[in-house]
Amino acid sequence: MTVFRDMRETDLGHVLEVERVSFAAPWSESLFRDEIGRPDRRWVVAEDAGDVVGYGGVMVVGDEAHLMNLAVDADRRRGGIARALVWRLAGEAAALGAARMTLEVAESNFAAIELYRTCGFDGAGRRVGYYPETGEDAVVLWSRPIAPALRAMNAARSGEDLILAIETSCDETAASVLRGGSEALSAVIASQVDFHARFGGVVPEIASRKHTEALVAVVDEALAEAGVGLDDLHALAVTQGPGLVGALVVGLAYAKGLALARGLPLVGVNHLEGHIYAARLLEPTLQPPLIALLVSGGHTLIVHASEWGRYELLGRTLDDAAGEAFDKVAKLLGLGYPGGPAISRLAADGDPQAIPFPRAMLRSGNLDVSLSGLKTAVIQYVDAERGAGRELRLPDIAASFQAAVIEVQVAKTLRAATDHKVRSVVLAGGVAANPALREGLRVALAGHGISLSVPPMGLCTDNASMIAAAAHDRLLTGHVLGLEADSVPNMRLDG
Amino acid sequence: MRPFLAFDTATDYLALGVGDLDAPDRVIAAVDFTAPRAANAVVLLAVERLLAGAGVSADALCAVAVGRGPGSFTGVRIGVATAKGLTHGLRVPLVGFGTLDAIALRAGEDGLVGVVGDAMRGEVYPALFRSEGDRVERVSPDRVASPSDVAAEWAALGEPISLTGAGLAKHAVVLETTLGSSAVVVEKRRWVPTGEALVAAAWAATGDRTLASVAALDRAAAYETAHPQSMLPIYTRLADAEEAERRAGRHMPPGGVVGPEATR
Repeated sequence: MTVFRDMRETDLGHVLEVERVSFAAPWSESLFRDEIGRPDRRWVVAEDAGDVVGYGGVMVVGDEAHLMNLAVDADRRRGGIARALVWRLAGEAAALGAARMTLEVAESNFAAIELYRTCGFDGAGRRVGYYPETGEDAVVLWSRPIAPALRAMNAARSGEDLILAIETSCDETAASVLRGGSEALSAVIASQVDFHARFGGVVPEIASRKHTEALVAVVDEALAEAGVGLDDLHALAVTQGPGLVGALVVGLAYAKGLALARGLPLVGVNHLEGHIYAARLLEPTLQPPLIALLVSGGHTLIVHASEWGRYELLGRTLDDAAGEAFDKVAKLLGLGYPGGPAISRLAADGDPQAIPFPRAMLRSGNLDVSLSGLKTAVIQYVDAERGAGRELRLPDIAASFQAAVIEVQVAKTLRAATDHKVRSVVLAGGVAANPALREGLRVALAGHGISLSVPPMGLCTDNASMIAAAAHDRLLTGHVLGLEADSVPNMRLDG
Repeated sequence: MRPFLAFDTATDYLALGVGDLDAPDRVIAAVDFTAPRAANAVVLLAVERLLAGAGVSADALCAVAVGRGPGSFTGVRIGVATAKGLTHGLRVPLVGFGTLDAIALRAGEDGLVGVVGDAMRGEVYPALFRSEGDRVERVSPDRVASPSDVAAEWAALGEPISLTGAGLAKHAVVLETTLGSSAVVVEKRRWVPTGEALVAAAWAATGDRTLASVAALDRAAAYETAHPQSMLPIYTRLADAEEAERRAGRHMPPGGVVGPEATR
């Protein structure tokens, strides 16, 4: 348990140990001693079991807080201590009248720059040769206004935060207002599926245009449905990635503009993390460690969540996503778009064992899957049947294809769950609508005493409530975006 | 004073200006710079700095005018979406102007001014203007065309014409060859907009959702008249997937998407 308190002279021994391993030109003891206790300074340490594991200090001049130094013990890094120190110092600085924070950081100190960037700092130039010992340049960073961010974090801690979230990563324009990370006050989705259907898949340029057209009305509807005004909100959230780049930038550009106009903090959310949080909206008591199977038109992933916000990618598709395979086979069979529901309906009347389609990589020894070979097998089967003049038994083809997809997904997910000894599995993404997949997975997991959590359909497909739910936790850990934030179309879960 | 912000991210060259709804000739602040493929990362920070430098707080803005293109589809959308977020949050009107109009205003040449934006894929966005003093009148609507077609059309006018616009970087030769001595190429530094030119273009724009249509209204009425919901980019091209359908005789609706009814 890490506690934060004011720095004392008796801490300096520990502080200097950390300082010396952290910087090429460490501060001296007399420098620290001179800093502590000055009225315009605040120095804070993070203490764990009697040890100082990190510290930082600010100097407040007028309404500006200069973050002078911040370091965390080498073997305690990447645990959120530095981020907690930044916001602790922000609170101290705000109490002394500061509106924003600024700092210089060595341009090669990527970990620190990444920390400050994800605390909402933006670049404001560089100081050439700022560090005389190394001759290195310093990057100058400025925070967004700190008071609104602290207010939002406090609201999130007390479970009273109102977050407006926006999702535009693919072909649904969605907005939602969520209270306390769990209570959806509204959930509005403008689907574009009819605009893409005749092309047999999502056309990125059309998606981007429709988002641009629909976004303001969708947000207004989400606010009205929730019965809240912009003044009531504590924070905004937006999907930062992964997804279609042209679609993502529309949501992010709008959200940043709205954030600047209202003086609200903006939280960037990983879309895939959002899908996992959809399960927590259904079951507020759901706790990691858990395995998530994310299956949609754009993704097919098996993820291990050791805790909320900490993920390991265990397996993924090497080619087509599961939903994509359903769409392609549906197109081949003349069933229209989207293919998932059409195949699932037909399959209910077919024999899943009628045609022995291949189970690619079932015994590959890892958790990756491949679906393009299966698609090819279906094409070859259909060609052969047509060539032989036989009428296609569509229900049997649909049922056999679906069974091949599901058998592999279920086997890999079960293996991930037993390997990692988790008690919970989450199924999410649009393909989670498939009843045979849900049932197959539920039965297989139940045999091992593992529970399956499947959010209702409206939360499985793309929506903004799940983005707001993830944003609530991101706020709790102090993650906000600066105005310079850009979309990340290939954003990773385990980054 | 009722300050408004004008900005354009339709091309790699960004420009921002702050004008005054009560004084059409006034430019409070302006900046322009190149930012290839970086509009989303830089534009709002540039807005914040420009306003801070001018002593105008963001919530004092009474309107936003955005360049609607044509230009890079993503670039235009970044501008329009950013402007929608700002105006939706501030509850102020969102108005538009043509990106090429601002470049025509920058040219500062009397007579016919032909602006060619770079449409990529070997094409240009051509627009013709007639300029006299600081008055610039648009003669042709926004569209996309091949440089040789544009050159032939403008040559057929039989009038001296000043050429400008970033499309000249690739296509000056075909235009100059066809137009011969009737063409004068404007100096290169004027091929891109300035913040001042954007403020002027915002004032010069006519029709719905323009500065002229809301300047005399009170804030609430102006917001309803030019609500951020209704602002759309000028694309001139359909998405590739829909281009084949357009060739089959369907026209492009304002949102730039034909929609499912086209198949019925």
